[in-house]
Amino acid sequence: MSSSSSSSSPSCPKKMITLKSSDGETFEIEEIAALQSKTLESMIDENCASTPVPLPNITGKILAKVVEYCTKHAEVGADAESLRAWDAEFVSVDHPTLFDYILAANFLEIPTLLNLACQSVADMVKGKTPDEIHKIFNIKSTFTPEEEEELRRENQWAFD
Amino acid sequence: MDWERDYIGAATKASSAAPPPCTAASSSSDDNDDAAAKRGKKRGSYNCGHCGLPKKGHSCHVGSSHSPAPDSSSAAATSSTLPVSAAAASSALAASASTVTVMPSALSSAARPPQSPPPLLPHHPISHLRCALSFDDLDVRADEEEEDIDEVEPDLDERDRDFVDGDADAGGLPARCLWEVLRRLPPAELLAVARVYKGWRETSRRVWWAAEDLKLRVPSRAQLYFVGSVLNKCPELVRLSLWMESDVDATMLACIAFSCPNLESVEISTSSNAVNRITGDELGRFVADKRCLTCLKMEGCSNLGGLVLSSSSLSTLWLSDLNSLSKMVFNCPNLREISLEFSRNGNDCTDLIATVDGLGRSCPILQNIHIASVRLSHAVVLALTASNLRGLRMLSLVLGSEITDASVAAIASSFSDLELLDLSGSSISDSGIGMICNVFPETLLRLLLALCPNISSSGIQFAIAQLPLLELVECGMTVCDSNDESLISDEAINHGMEKRPNSNLHLIHQKLIIKHSKLKKLSLWGCSGLDALYLNCPELNDLNLNAYKNLLTDRLLIQCPSLENVYASGCQELLIEVIQNQVNNNSFPMENHLPFKRLADGSKRVRVPHFLCQQQFDVYKKQRRRPPCNVLAE
Repeated sequence: MSSSSSSSSPSCPKKMITLKSSDGETFEIEEIAALQSKTLESMIDENCASTPVPLPNITGKILAKVVEYCTKHAEVGADAESLRAWDAEFVSVDHPTLFDYILAANFLEIPTLLNLACQSVADMVKGKTPDEIHKIFNIKSTFTPEEEEELRRENQWAFD
Repeated sequence: MDWERDYIGAATKASSAAPPPCTAASSSSDDNDDAAAKRGKKRGSYNCGHCGLPKKGHSCHVGSSHSPAPDSSSAAATSSTLPVSAAAASSALAASASTVTVMPSALSSAARPPQSPPPLLPHHPISHLRCALSFDDLDVRADEEEEDIDEVEPDLDERDRDFVDGDADAGGLPARCLWEVLRRLPPAELLAVARVYKGWRETSRRVWWAAEDLKLRVPSRAQLYFVGSVLNKCPELVRLSLWMESDVDATMLACIAFSCPNLESVEISTSSNAVNRITGDELGRFVADKRCLTCLKMEGCSNLGGLVLSSSSLSTLWLSDLNSLSKMVFNCPNLREISLEFSRNGNDCTDLIATVDGLGRSCPILQNIHIASVRLSHAVVLALTASNLRGLRMLSLVLGSEITDASVAAIASSFSDLELLDLSGSSISDSGIGMICNVFPETLLRLLLALCPNISSSGIQFAIAQLPLLELVECGMTVCDSNDESLISDEAINHGMEKRPNSNLHLIHQKLIIKHSKLKKLSLWGCSGLDALYLNCPELNDLNLNAYKNLLTDRLLIQCPSLENVYASGCQELLIEVIQNQVNNNSFPMENHLPFKRLADGSKRVRVPHFLCQQQFDVYKKQRRRPPCNVLAE
């Protein structure tokens, strides 16, 4: 009946919602945990969440992690210290996955996850030169050489 | 440890480092000050904005690291506090805390708050969060300079709606998500990543455009156009805070005025080696031209010369380090809060009477007044009370040794609704306290009487007993043995706090019994004349016993179940142990103190002391879940 470990009120059965990823996998999540997503919350309020909710933007792999995140953060009695450590663990993944977390959190409107993932990316970017950033994120600069030059001049004052 | 040496050493260090006035908008005192917050500005920041320790009795060396992270929703205009100048006095008389124990601070300072995560997004993606960019280091050469981390909290408004719905850019993230990432970068990084991709450049530009708050640290070798270019990036700026390590003059003001038309709040803090060359005329022009300026705070105002400020929008004004102003005129009909700190080096010759007189006439809706000057006198108080400031709620006149009981009488008869009264450093005596208790029992929330040598412990006790709404009491260095040389350093004497002969030698070996149902913060730092202390305050959160030298360990009884922090720097080890035992003891130690009489039939009849009541037992039940109290000692 219930998939979460600890609970305070064992009497009522936990209400579950089914989420369906883009590749057809289904995941169950407790309603309480789902409330962390504003998108899901409004669906629950409007009673649209009784059938599986399709999430075409999110793959099964990512959705599984998102469900794990929401469930963990919906637990009662977790102390802040261990939650922080858990969060740090959660975001020590590769960049594409981190980006996917951001996209998922953005789509599902989960502010805590969005904050966590964006902050990790920001932390990753901090202190890196543009070339390093290019390498990390594996993307090419789209500026023409003239534009690059202009940019450099524009920010010259910052580097003097 | 040679306590005296550390004491004086710390004092000289503190005075030479000239810590900036602690402008902590204390969020921990927010809880206490909910009532006060509704009425406007908070007052009397009890804790140092840097390290979170109580300002009384400590010298703050946490000056080097700046990590401002404004929780903008709480840094909104309603929650600034006036600097407590008794803190500056106490920094001259700094206690022995030469190393400061940094407690995890829940304070958010207007100038230098600790790190805090950015506020969560509200439901709608186009949020109207406050936006803050914080610079700590304008130099982007990360390998050479230590980058201090700041917070970026931009605001998406209607203009950016089309941007938000834009397509994914080369970075693999849709614009909206990229925006979320970039806004968490410190400004220096923001500049750097602009060179990465077109999309990032555009996004970072958006982040700048949306900026409403900006905190800038201007290093000593920064050029003006530096600051100017930064300010040009954020035309929507509403609040600007500059921490100057280089000299500042009127060209900076001009630059600010030119770049940021919507500016409402300007704060300029100076480090100890930066000189503020702004003159009164220039400042006056700046204020007059800025039609929406509501808040102006400036440090290092030693070159003002004379000041005439005319503004119909200004509501908060803090000026410190003022020195010998030929005149000070404030034509600011909307002024609600004013804080004037004069230099303490003894050569200030500002005519305070004229100033205060003018204040009363031209700023009729003043609510909070803070003046720190050694030239404060009874005549100044009379000028103030003669004015018609019916809305006055917070009055702080500190360092005026010529303020007497007569002044208290005048204050009591003119301002009947005071919520905060700070007469630290004055000469008032217990009869002055009596007058305070006659007039203000229904309104007074905070009473600060540090460094008042003519007050005795019975006066303090009486005050606390008679003022039922009190939440904060500051009595640092008040009941002290002024024959104790070590307590008053040479620095203090230079600053004008002469060693006044304590005419009441019998004030040594006093005791203090305090029972109060609402008191939240009590400071008795340096009260070496007290050797016994009984505290029974169920709501007490903070207790400052720094430098509490002469307390006998068996005459200390603390029954304060909500106590969160006890500051005991400079106390003897044994005393610290006793304190720790008492505050962390789950069972009330009072049981040992109840005298009982054994009757003939073997039963015990217990005689309950007068301060016990039913309240104790209810509080005891709540106590089971409370977190352990921190006893902070050096």
